[in-house]
Amino acid sequence: MSTTALEVSGLTVRHGDVLAVDGLDLRIGRGETVALLGPNGAGKSSTVGAVLGLLRPAVGSVRVLGRRPADAVRAGCVGAMLQHGGLPGDARVGEVVHLVRSSYPDPWPLEDLTATTGTGGLLGRDVGALSGGQRQRVLLALALAGQPPLLLLDEPTSAMDAEGRRAFWTTMRDLAARGTTVVFATHHLEEADAVADRVVVLAGGRVVADGASAQVRSAVGGRTVRLTAGRLPDPLPGVTAVDRQGGTVALTTTDVDVTLRALLAAGVPLADLEVRGASLEDAVLTLTGGTR
Amino acid sequence: MSPLLAFQLRRVARNRQFLFFTVLLPAAFTVFFTQVFAGTPGGVSPEQAAATMVAMMAYGAIGAALGATVRLSFDRASGWLRQLRVTPVPQTSVVAVDVAVGMLLTLPPLVVVALTGRFVNGVRLAPGEWAGLVGVLWLGSAAFVALGLLLGWALEERAAGGAVGIVGTVLAALGGLWVPVELFPSGLRAVAHGLPSYWYAEAGRAAAEGRPPSPAAAAALTAFALAFAVLAVVAARRRSLPAVAG
Repeated sequence: MSTTALEVSGLTVRHGDVLAVDGLDLRIGRGETVALLGPNGAGKSSTVGAVLGLLRPAVGSVRVLGRRPADAVRAGCVGAMLQHGGLPGDARVGEVVHLVRSSYPDPWPLEDLTATTGTGGLLGRDVGALSGGQRQRVLLALALAGQPPLLLLDEPTSAMDAEGRRAFWTTMRDLAARGTTVVFATHHLEEADAVADRVVVLAGGRVVADGASAQVRSAVGGRTVRLTAGRLPDPLPGVTAVDRQGGTVALTTTDVDVTLRALLAAGVPLADLEVRGASLEDAVLTLTGGTR
Repeated sequence: MSPLLAFQLRRVARNRQFLFFTVLLPAAFTVFFTQVFAGTPGGVSPEQAAATMVAMMAYGAIGAALGATVRLSFDRASGWLRQLRVTPVPQTSVVAVDVAVGMLLTLPPLVVVALTGRFVNGVRLAPGEWAGLVGVLWLGSAAFVALGLLLGWALEERAAGGAVGIVGTVLAALGGLWVPVELFPSGLRAVAHGLPSYWYAEAGRAAAEGRPPSPAAAAALTAFALAFAVLAVVAARRRSLPAVAG
């Protein structure tokens, strides 16, 4: 059996005149937990849509577990939480869950499924009577109903509160530990950092960074020196960016030692000094050309 | 029965308004119109009673066919159709179930209004004529199922709900289901002849007299059904592929 869960090559997706995905290449192995990270409009949802066969790519190919996207979905290899997915009106939760489970060749036993997703108490409820968080839990139950080897989640926690998020990601880590490939799109950097063992940063429909989150952070090659100071010598050795907010200055530097020595040599008092590695957020902003 | 068909039927059955407007209201109208005519000099003839019953069967079936199918617009708005597309349920079954639900739900109004006509208003037909009447109106309802699917695919949720009410009313009023076309001024009569609802009731009246539908009625209903179905497919295709090759 192939070790590749998802193979995207040269994927280009257009929405009318807008180029949403621009020649994207991505290979995801079985059992990986991958975050697709990027700002709005980076092409995350379009990529997910193409992988699920919801969008027809203009160019390029997508193979899901060796099959065409629509075939993989038909075969029950994929479960998905969509950003614009929803539940039907005039229906009870239990009926919807039953319908989706019955469409998969090997459904997850109901009791396990509802216990895992926290939907046990909701089965008799009318869909219209669910809160936002409860809806997301039901949508998760639908995504997991067939025990699919590949899970695609597009901004899955957007309607959840902090506690809901924590529970959600605990579930995802458990599934990943059992060998499920989990691919999720998010712009919550903490989530990508905490959950994914690989982060793929998208911008303008292309991959701008790909690796472990620590690796992506170091890709911007920087650490941040923060201090309270007035005028600073310019230029400072090692410094690639200066960000001043009131009295606080954040210096992004490729070499902390050299920068600090230069500051001392210039007689700058090192008040409230703080040195830290670039956060994933800094990395993404740098990589996607955002300003700070 | 496929799980999706059972699921969809249960959802509609839960909708009390739908049952009221498509089954109870036409049955009540059948009694009401007949009683109104009964109060006029000369009373109500058996032909008038039968014609009223046929018109109300057509009215109920049109409402049911449109109301059952336009719901897909709500399912699209809620994101449910999108959700279904990422399950193994094939798209062809989703469409087939929509058609089946529309066709099945036209049966309750046809049967209930027919029973009302027989047992409340005393309409007497031969067993074969009853079967022919229900059969012809059931088959003919395919045109309105197709129209409902077209409206459901072409219109947004809010517009679709309103459109079905308006389209149903226009088809009933101008098609001569409430007031017989013979009482229309000639200009309006020409309009009626351009509507599927007129030919639908016309085919029903023929069946109630033990005749097959006239060639004109059969041709008109077939043409409307095909035209609505083709347009529905076009509308659905435009919806389902937001990103196009290029």
